[in-house]
Amino acid sequence: MSKYLDILKFEFFHLINSPYKIISIVLYAISILYGCQTGYDLFKKHNIEIKSINSKNADFEKKMLVQYDELEQGLIEKPRRDPTIPYWAIWNTPSYALKSPSPMIVFSTGQAEQYGYYKKVTNWSTVFDNDLAEEIANPERLALGTLDFSFVLLFLTPILLIILLFNIGGLEKDNGFDKLIYLNDISKKSWLITRFSYYFLVLFTLICFLLIPYAVLSGVFTNELMSFFTLMVLIFLYIFLWVSIFYFINYWGKGSVDQAIKMISVWVALSIIMPGLFHQITSIKFSTNYMVDYLDVARDQRYEIFDMSTDTLQNELLESFPVLKSSVYAQDTTINKGIINRSISGLVNILNKKAAGKIEKESELKNNFVRSTLLLNPIMYFQNKINEVSEADYYAYRLYRENIQNSIDKKIELILRDTWNKEEVDKERYIEYLQEFKN
Amino acid sequence: MMISIILNEWKILVRNRSIVYVSLVFMLSIISVVWMGNLQSKNQSKAQIAAEKHIRAQWDNLEPMNPHRAAHYGVYVFKPISILNSLDDGVSSITGNVLKLEGHVQNEIVHSEASQSITISRFGKLKPSTILQYMVPLFLIFLSFGSISNDKETGRLKLIALQGVSLEKLVLSKSLSIWLYGLILLIFSILLQLFLGSSSADFGTRIGFILISYGLYYFIVVCLSTYISASFKNNTSAISLLLATWILWTIFLPKIWGNTVEKVHPLPSRQNFISQMKEDRSKGIDGHNPTDERRSKLKEEYLARYNVDSLSQLPINFDGIVMQADEEYGNQVWDKHFGNNYLIYQKQKRLYQLSGLLNPFSSLQNLSMGFCGSDMIHHLDFLKKAELYRRYLIKTLNDKHAHGGSKTGEWRWTVDNTFFRSVKTFEYQTMKIKDQIENYYIDILSLIVWVLFSGFLIRYKIKRDIII
Repeated sequence: MSKYLDILKFEFFHLINSPYKIISIVLYAISILYGCQTGYDLFKKHNIEIKSINSKNADFEKKMLVQYDELEQGLIEKPRRDPTIPYWAIWNTPSYALKSPSPMIVFSTGQAEQYGYYKKVTNWSTVFDNDLAEEIANPERLALGTLDFSFVLLFLTPILLIILLFNIGGLEKDNGFDKLIYLNDISKKSWLITRFSYYFLVLFTLICFLLIPYAVLSGVFTNELMSFFTLMVLIFLYIFLWVSIFYFINYWGKGSVDQAIKMISVWVALSIIMPGLFHQITSIKFSTNYMVDYLDVARDQRYEIFDMSTDTLQNELLESFPVLKSSVYAQDTTINKGIINRSISGLVNILNKKAAGKIEKESELKNNFVRSTLLLNPIMYFQNKINEVSEADYYAYRLYRENIQNSIDKKIELILRDTWNKEEVDKERYIEYLQEFKN
Repeated sequence: MMISIILNEWKILVRNRSIVYVSLVFMLSIISVVWMGNLQSKNQSKAQIAAEKHIRAQWDNLEPMNPHRAAHYGVYVFKPISILNSLDDGVSSITGNVLKLEGHVQNEIVHSEASQSITISRFGKLKPSTILQYMVPLFLIFLSFGSISNDKETGRLKLIALQGVSLEKLVLSKSLSIWLYGLILLIFSILLQLFLGSSSADFGTRIGFILISYGLYYFIVVCLSTYISASFKNNTSAISLLLATWILWTIFLPKIWGNTVEKVHPLPSRQNFISQMKEDRSKGIDGHNPTDERRSKLKEEYLARYNVDSLSQLPINFDGIVMQADEEYGNQVWDKHFGNNYLIYQKQKRLYQLSGLLNPFSSLQNLSMGFCGSDMIHHLDFLKKAELYRRYLIKTLNDKHAHGGSKTGEWRWTVDNTFFRSVKTFEYQTMKIKDQIENYYIDILSLIVWVLFSGFLIRYKIKRDIII
């Protein structure tokens, strides 16, 4: 046991006497802090935007409530978009679908910059609307990517390991005294593993130590403890993966230079070439989706509905929403064009959902294919896992789209219910609407 | 003498089986990557053309419709793949691909490739540019390093120096011989691309510029590598510094600088952008609001112009006039706000380009994307041209609405698809690179400065005592 402790002790002295290695560790630590700060800035930015939207909504709600008071007291005339009509009252009910960032986004911004995170929902909305576009950003900057913690971990950690490990065992080979070491009652394997373990522990401890302040700052420990623990496990496994690869390189290596060249080549292959190759293959197999199905609904099929006669539309609505059959209007024998026109969005929504479902299905096929390549693309496996725990991956945003769709459905359900029951909206009913769409 | 050294170096390179095998692997990689790049571009182009045809067919076969209704119906344009997308796809997978052009609003391009799946890579697709930007320079570093360190270790350098060869010339010749090797790989890729690409003059010019940019970058990499290898007594320190520089240039600095420029020249948040546009827009005419004050003024103006008392007496449809006035006001608002964003993009780009003075890799990346037509400048050009087309389209529809034979208030008046078919299709032509070259002056200048600097190091800063 003591010989292993001696090795660890000597490794400590070797490290503190290597200025290049110390500088590299310091730079790496700065990168982690920079990466976490980038994530924390994004976390704050999203929260500020969401807060500002909520505050604007609150102002708007107040204005609407005052309008109802004034209408009820006869102080003002009904505006063009009469708020006593359920359609316009619901139209004027602020309902934003918001995707609040997880505190874990501090550690991986993931795909957050490729999607929008707030959307005003109306009965005409869809989950692929223009206003759901990502935040305004320089496309070249987006293409370069963000230097967040996950980037530091996935791409710079192996580089730091190369700097720390390339001459472990290599220096002895360079100077020709490696054989002497094995005469000291230790196998090459145990000697290398002990030395590698030292760096493994140093690195893992350093990362944990640096992540804690940001975890406290963003509230990870109070809200996302399990996610943070998962992240720690992923970090552990990831460092272990690279240490293992480099161990074999050094075990069979011929010297420091040979080992450094092999290590950097493996890094290039796993970090740049393999992900790039699978990205290219995926693009060949699944060309960019131009969303034609969705565009057809948004334009052609929507206009076909607009061109239908009122009684055809009424029949379609009754067929698609059987609950309307028991409504007040359904008992009437006369056709009310206003009621039908205000209900059309219900039919369009059905088409939109169908198109969205098809698009999501195509994306899922693509994702399944990508997942099948992750065994050969380990860096991206870890990237996606970290994005997942940070709730900044494709699926987090798909869930967000589902929430948007639920809000649209709820809007349409209320419009149909109250329009077909010929309800008049007063302040009290409007407050009920507000409650329905509280985030 | 230098030619003899270069030839000799080449003989050594060719005799080294590892290098021959690695070169073959490179060649095969380049062939397969170029082939995959072209296949992907063709597939995407096919999908884009099919989408375009589908959307145009819908427009051509429109049922008789009021022109203003057609303005709301709108058209979709799809971003075509860039001229040399198969070589370097730049920002293509990040930017949206579908843009709706309709009345009353300038939409943003949406539905990027990156948003359609989980993360697949963080350095983009494996394109020839990936190999030429990351792998070839790395290999050149290893070759340059090996070329000097081997001669130092074996004492061959001393022998050559004893024969009266100047050390500067020797190191320069070694650098040139390795640079030529990189150049051959580069020319091989370019020839393949030429073989598979179009034959237009612009394509040729772009290819030429790409060849020069990469050639200059390889020269910088090779000269600096040989210089560092020659200047360090310790081989380990030399290779460490070389690899550290490579990592700093290719991985670290581009991201750090990219994030910094966005902080120096911040863009507005989408929410502010939209609300400010909405506010400015509300100050103009509201085409759909009959009680709008500004609309009333316009009405008075037209009644006076045609010397009539009411809108029904006008020989034209006043609704079309209002819609176009509304549109023209809107255009000023879009120009102000989108223009402001474009200006910030330009400022960010300029600042990013300046990083080339510290990092020639970012200059190379900018030039590669630019000459392949896949950078932000080309992207913005597409957006601007699409917006010009939107304005043409909506004006054509509004003019028809106003002067096509209907009277004010006749919203049920329709035109048939003969008219819709007469509306030109949006056809995007990539801008000529020779007209845009000024956008890349900083990058070109940075590379030239680096070439001169690295040449200067080799010529004047080689330390004789360390080498020998």
